[in-house]
Amino acid sequence: MQPPPSRPAPTLTRPIMLNKQLASLFRFPGRRRIWHWLVPMLLVLLFVSTMLWLPWQAQQMEANERQEQLIADTLWVEQTIRFQLDRNEDSIRLIGNEISTGYLSGKRLQERMAILIRNNRELNRIVWLDPQGKTIVSTDDSSIALTDLSSSSRITAERARATKTPQYSQPAPPPGLNGPMLMDYHVPLYLGEQYLGSLVASYSVTSILDEMVPWWFAQDNEIVLTDGDDAIIARRAAGGPGRNVYTHSRALEVPYASLTLRTNSVKNAPKLLPNLLVGSVIALSVGLIWSLIALWRDINRRLAAEGALRQQVVFRTAMENSLMTGLRARDLEGRITYVNPAFCEMVGFPAEELIGKAPPMPYWAPEAMNEYKQRFTQVLAGTVTPQFETIFQRSNGERFPVLIFESPLVDDSGKQTGWMGSILDISDRKRVEDLNRRQQEKLQASARLATMGEIASTLAHELNQPLAAISSYTTGALNLIENSAAKGIRFDPEVLKPALEKASTQAQRAGHIIRSVHTFVKRREPSREPIAVQSLIDSVIPLVELQARQFFVAIQVQVAPQLPPVLADRVMLEQVLLNLTRNAIEAMQDVAPERRILRITAEQDADPGGQRNVVISVIDQGHGIPQEVAERLFSPFFSTKAEGMGMGLNICRTTVEFHGGTLVHANNPAGGTIFRFSLPVLAENVVESASAELK
Amino acid sequence: MLHIVDDEEVIRDSLTWLARSRAIETSAYESGTAFLAALEAQKDFDPQGECILLDVRMPDMSGAALFDTLSTRGLTRRLPVIFLTGHGDVPMAVDTLKRGAFDFFEKPFNDNKLMDRVEEALAASREAGAAAEVHTRLATLSIREREVLDLILVGKMNKVIADELGISMRTVEVHRAHIFDKMNVKTAVELARLLK
Repeated sequence: MQPPPSRPAPTLTRPIMLNKQLASLFRFPGRRRIWHWLVPMLLVLLFVSTMLWLPWQAQQMEANERQEQLIADTLWVEQTIRFQLDRNEDSIRLIGNEISTGYLSGKRLQERMAILIRNNRELNRIVWLDPQGKTIVSTDDSSIALTDLSSSSRITAERARATKTPQYSQPAPPPGLNGPMLMDYHVPLYLGEQYLGSLVASYSVTSILDEMVPWWFAQDNEIVLTDGDDAIIARRAAGGPGRNVYTHSRALEVPYASLTLRTNSVKNAPKLLPNLLVGSVIALSVGLIWSLIALWRDINRRLAAEGALRQQVVFRTAMENSLMTGLRARDLEGRITYVNPAFCEMVGFPAEELIGKAPPMPYWAPEAMNEYKQRFTQVLAGTVTPQFETIFQRSNGERFPVLIFESPLVDDSGKQTGWMGSILDISDRKRVEDLNRRQQEKLQASARLATMGEIASTLAHELNQPLAAISSYTTGALNLIENSAAKGIRFDPEVLKPALEKASTQAQRAGHIIRSVHTFVKRREPSREPIAVQSLIDSVIPLVELQARQFFVAIQVQVAPQLPPVLADRVMLEQVLLNLTRNAIEAMQDVAPERRILRITAEQDADPGGQRNVVISVIDQGHGIPQEVAERLFSPFFSTKAEGMGMGLNICRTTVEFHGGTLVHANNPAGGTIFRFSLPVLAENVVESASAELK
Repeated sequence: MLHIVDDEEVIRDSLTWLARSRAIETSAYESGTAFLAALEAQKDFDPQGECILLDVRMPDMSGAALFDTLSTRGLTRRLPVIFLTGHGDVPMAVDTLKRGAFDFFEKPFNDNKLMDRVEEALAASREAGAAAEVHTRLATLSIREREVLDLILVGKMNKVIADELGISMRTVEVHRAHIFDKMNVKTAVELARLLK
């Protein structure tokens, strides 16, 4: 898959095609596209799951930490209790020893024990019991007998007396009461082997928790002391009941008593959602997914545009490749930026050799280099001739004529970036034009000969007159000379002079006729030049008169004054005039002699398109043209004359049209026919350029 | 007299010059109409020793049309017509020849041959004129005189003629004198040559 196009989105000019493109987007994506999307999606999933897992993990760690903290605190509390108990044990044992040694008794003992209780409030009371279990000294006001102690305490008292070691009793309430739970520390007193009773220190278990556990710990945790059967002995819940989330149990090392310290934090498990981190992670993830979707949609749009663009490019490329017209784009410096295959084929250079080239181009013919350079200077100046013909050179050196159309190349912001030129190879067209022109010339020449053939009888008649006259004059002269010789009289040559002069004149007349024919038939290159209509008519009048005389037709010529010149081939137009006048004269050979008038008129006219024309009319008063003949009048090889080839009018029309005019005929209101042909007037400013072009 | 009818001035002029070189008297007309007008102007036109050189192709009235007019008036024997034709007019000229034209020449022509034919035409005209005169004189003869003339021409003597016709010898001689007088001859031989 290619990266999205860096080009600007194209302006699509084919909405239908675009719709198609968009529709194709919603089809099942291809295999490559699945892979293209799978990896980022997996990564995103991984990222999201990691993002979700991390806070959970953090929560776990926090929980663990709290748990460990609880354990540590619990241990510390246990140690504290244990330490305090140890200290109390030491103090009590010391008192016991001093009692045993008799050092303490009576009032001092009472004071010592009172100080101890005062300083250690967890101690409820201290009692010295005699071996019979009667109170000797007690910190309480009331005396307590051994029987007032709980059963477990009495058992512990027996055991301590037997083992002679201090022991703790299992906490229990005094007999007959529910509380308080008392744990008694029994210190048997011996002097030697003599049992002096025992010192009993009673701990209120609740006080142990109240006094020995620090307040900050109790604030956060519910603390419970349990016995071996998990029955709760004492509880401290200053911060409320425990949540059973963080708990720890620790056996309290008290000799001969089974006590367990349980702590239960009042804190809940750490909450997930209120966590800012989690919140931001979720927000970011949502944002990420949203932006991914937005990106996906944007990419899809771009892909659609790209697809449409590619299709357009393919379409346009196919179009350019199928073109016969060469295309060439140039930047403003004249460097070639693009050529199509047709152009490459035309000039015979591959596109790689052309693109990026700056003038002089490899397809420039050396002999026309000046022209190219001049035009290129214009291109640099920002002006081009929109259409012109020139010559290019193929890679094999062959020259060929081209027709070039140039137009500015404008980018989507409306700024001109260069020039686009389409190049037509017009060598074929030129060839055909040449061939056409040559054939036209041949046809014209043939037509002239045909015309001559058709007026041959006229010529023969015309030539016969002077020849006959010459012959008669000379024969007559000879007769005179011979007669006088036969009669033996002296002959005066002066007699012959007028006859011989007349013969000479007639010989010149014959020569004149021959010359006019020769001028007419002579083959020559066609050339267009500005021609005055008057001179055109004047030049054919002699030949027209030849024919007119033969049929005793009078000629009237009316040429409007100050007629503008026309651009034409003189001989071709003479041919047309001669053809039309001959037809007109022949059409009148059967009408009454006074009606035999041939009129030739020339005047200026403007057609509906505003084109100014010179209209030349050849008007006869002959037999006219029947409808069925009129229909086929201009068809080739159609003739009403026995000796006609049927080419005359056809050639006339071709010739007139060749000059940009029209040839029409109409009925003469006075009887007969009018043939009328128009020739475009040569505009004043065109005259110079036209004659320049001819050169 | 040679009448030249041609619309071309130069042709008229050159033919006049040619005829004069052969000592033939000429008069020229520029058209058939002009010729006919000249003909009308002449009272009791009696051509003898005259002919026409006629151009076939002319405006107004063509040579053929003029020939037809002359033909209708019965003048073509005593006024022989020689046609001058241009190129391509030969079929028409042949046609006129069949209808009694004396000859036709195609331009350009051999001038002296043309003049020879003109002289022959003039001679023919003269002969035709003479024959016409004989015919006129014959018409003046009475029936009896014609009978006598016929017998004279077969060479019979007056006596034989008188016997055959049952008239007197003297009457035959009077008739004979009248015949010679009317026919303007002096001898029978002369008469026979005239009526050959």
